[in-house]
Amino acid sequence: MESLLDFARGPLFRLCFTIMILGLARILSLDVWAIYKAYRKAGDKRMPWKLILSRAWEWFFPVKRISRNFQMYSVISILFHAGLIIVPLFLLAHIQLWKGSVGISWIALPYGWTFSLTIATIVLAVSLFIGRLVIKQARLLSRKQDYLWLLLLLLPFATGFICSNLNISPQSYQFFMLIHVLSGELIFILIPFSKIAHCVLAPLSQVVCAVAWKFPPKTDDDICTTLNKKGAPI
Amino acid sequence: MNRVHNTKFVLWLIAGFAAAVVLNRFIFGLGVTTNLNDRTPWGLWIGFDVMGGVALASGGFVITAIFYIMKREQFYPLVKPAVLTAFLGYLAVISGLLVDLGLPWNIWHMIIYWNPHSPLFEVGWCVMLYTSVLLLEFSPVPLEKFSRYAKVRNFLMKFRFVFVLLGIMLSTLHQSSLGTLFLIMPFKLYPLWYSNILPIQFFISAIALGLMVVALESLVSHWLYKRKPETNLVAKLCRIAAWVLTLYFVVKITDIIAEDKFSLIFNGAWQSNLFIIEVLISTIIPAVLFAVPKFYNNVKVQWTGSSLVIIGMVLNRIDVGGLVMLGVTGDSYTPAWTEIVISLGIVSIAALVFLFVIENFHVWETQPIEPESIPHKLPLFDYSSRTWLGTPDVSSVTTHSLAFVISFAVGMALMPGKHLHSKGIDNIKVSPASGIDTLYINGNRDNQFVKFPHQAHISRIGKDSCFTCHHLNMPGEKLSQCWECHTSMYTSVDFFKHNSHISNKNANLKCDDCHKSGENRSALTAKKCTSCHPTYNFFTYGKNTIQKYKILSYTDAMHNLCVSCHILESRKLKDKPNLALCSTCHKTQLPDYLSAAVSWKIKVPHFNSVILPGVDLKKKIIKSVLKSQ
Repeated sequence: MESLLDFARGPLFRLCFTIMILGLARILSLDVWAIYKAYRKAGDKRMPWKLILSRAWEWFFPVKRISRNFQMYSVISILFHAGLIIVPLFLLAHIQLWKGSVGISWIALPYGWTFSLTIATIVLAVSLFIGRLVIKQARLLSRKQDYLWLLLLLLPFATGFICSNLNISPQSYQFFMLIHVLSGELIFILIPFSKIAHCVLAPLSQVVCAVAWKFPPKTDDDICTTLNKKGAPI
Repeated sequence: MNRVHNTKFVLWLIAGFAAAVVLNRFIFGLGVTTNLNDRTPWGLWIGFDVMGGVALASGGFVITAIFYIMKREQFYPLVKPAVLTAFLGYLAVISGLLVDLGLPWNIWHMIIYWNPHSPLFEVGWCVMLYTSVLLLEFSPVPLEKFSRYAKVRNFLMKFRFVFVLLGIMLSTLHQSSLGTLFLIMPFKLYPLWYSNILPIQFFISAIALGLMVVALESLVSHWLYKRKPETNLVAKLCRIAAWVLTLYFVVKITDIIAEDKFSLIFNGAWQSNLFIIEVLISTIIPAVLFAVPKFYNNVKVQWTGSSLVIIGMVLNRIDVGGLVMLGVTGDSYTPAWTEIVISLGIVSIAALVFLFVIENFHVWETQPIEPESIPHKLPLFDYSSRTWLGTPDVSSVTTHSLAFVISFAVGMALMPGKHLHSKGIDNIKVSPASGIDTLYINGNRDNQFVKFPHQAHISRIGKDSCFTCHHLNMPGEKLSQCWECHTSMYTSVDFFKHNSHISNKNANLKCDDCHKSGENRSALTAKKCTSCHPTYNFFTYGKNTIQKYKILSYTDAMHNLCVSCHILESRKLKDKPNLALCSTCHKTQLPDYLSAAVSWKIKVPHFNSVILPGVDLKKKIIKSVLKSQ
């Protein structure tokens, strides 16, 4: 168990963490490049930049949208995102691991904060899961991976909570720690290749929407040829 | 264009892997990434990347000389690719050198602080000047694409002949001066390779190699892009190469016979066998192949012959650059996998740049067409980001960047993790002191002893003073020795073993036995050690207090303990003013019974000077030790 834990914390962690960081950088740069290419070719180069920026900002802090519909669902979702980002980044134990290995450190949250935030995040994740099951509209929109993601994100939080707060025997501590580390690493690997990539792509989504409809001049022929429908009535 | 796509995919894989290793090399240093040491400071990177790289780049000057000076117009299609290969080759040499140098950021010193007596000074200046000339020589090709730089391009084209002449001159100088470099080490190089005309041999072999590099590069790139091979041109190159190789062989053999070394070739030593293999691959077999018209017009023979010359000549550079010095220095060196990966990575990045330039600029008469950029091809979606905006050629970018990311991550995972904590000092394990009552301390095994008379100290300080030095003992022991806890010579180690406290073989404690519940579980909030181990007697020196759970290094522990007491005593005792000086302890001569036991262990010290043949340093030292007894 110990050697397995060492492997998961050492080489495996480096592998997964590098894939996450470089993978996110790759996706971001590919998207920016694609947007640039599409914009350069566009026939109509007018872009509603102000609207794009305000929309992006609106979705980034969706306070305005809360009052529309499903208020509870939106609030829970926002708080869930906050817990998801804050707890792993500002937990003292994680920061000390960074300090011990690479030598960098930053401010940690006090114990009480992380304790209650962890519980809150777990509760919120469970309620989001129930919400997806119960609310009809949400159920219709959900894919299998949406349910799976909630469960997968729940795993490191629950095991981390057990490890840092309950008084358990050393053997079960190592067992839960192993699950904690492995599930975290699975999340790291999946982030750049799944919908969680929105953590870096979100600011671009409005620009993509705007650019996607900018076709190069005289594209209609090319589109018809590509779709093999030349001469067919549109 | 699957062939190009797949080749680039593999090249990106290697490049990503190498990039991770390079990152580790620049963060954690040469010790993590090489098997080099003071005795063998030049390894694969110098032999292959630098010496071999320069030799491989010789295609540029050979083809430009044939085209511009000898006016052989039919070689025009080969000129631009050859100059490009030479330019990229030199850039690869420079990047290989930067990885190999211990302090690469000092490379500019050579430009300002001149040392005209050093052969490396000449080599360095040649590399810098020739790379700049190659840049000027090649830059009209990419500038052609941008109309706003037309004036610059016209200027460069006007003085093109000057650059070409300069390039040929500098390259001639540099190819031979790499040979000159080894003239200063006659005693290190095996006699079969050492020769007074080493520069001339290097120059002639560089011409043959240059011809073959251009030939192979033409064959490979035409195969990659599925174009008709330039068989006639390559055949002409092969015919010239046959003559040059014959000349090289004659010069080499004549020199060996004249220097009376011919019998060395067949004496069965590994160096001699290596020499035979090298000459066979690099010279004899290809020269014979290219002498027969039926053979040199055949594409397959062109492939084999040119590859043989390239492999053989690079082997020659590796041999001269360090491999055949191993027999003389007595060291054993095999390149670490990281060295091989970095070398391959540099080559593959150069190849990727070559392909990029060929596809995007006017290097060939007709540029290769990328079928993926045909506008009416249905796009493939990028499954990772679920977005699609660009032309279909993006699909190759997505797969190639994915290959880079994954192999980079694998490279990071494979780097030895313990070195990631390294602060630059080796963890040398302490060896226990030898002796019975009078201890001879030799912690790092360099045979520089410190004498410690145990009984004399007890009689001076008093019988109740055991705890002054034996401040802490291993569990179950009464008087533990220093090296049992201070296990590392120069670095501090962890005092507290968390694993043995929670392991069921030892203490088997639960979390809350030491950490308070409702608090962060860290060293700062844990119980004090003395609450369970009340007899522990901790020293606290400077920053390394027990709160940080660190044991001082052996050197620090010894110096803190001995020196502090010696300083106090030297003030008290008027007749011993030198008690606290370094030399008081660090001058110990070994007693006879110990020196006999130690003498056979004495190693040859690391040498920086040339060892003259016939002098065996090891025997000399042992003799002198035996005499002194």
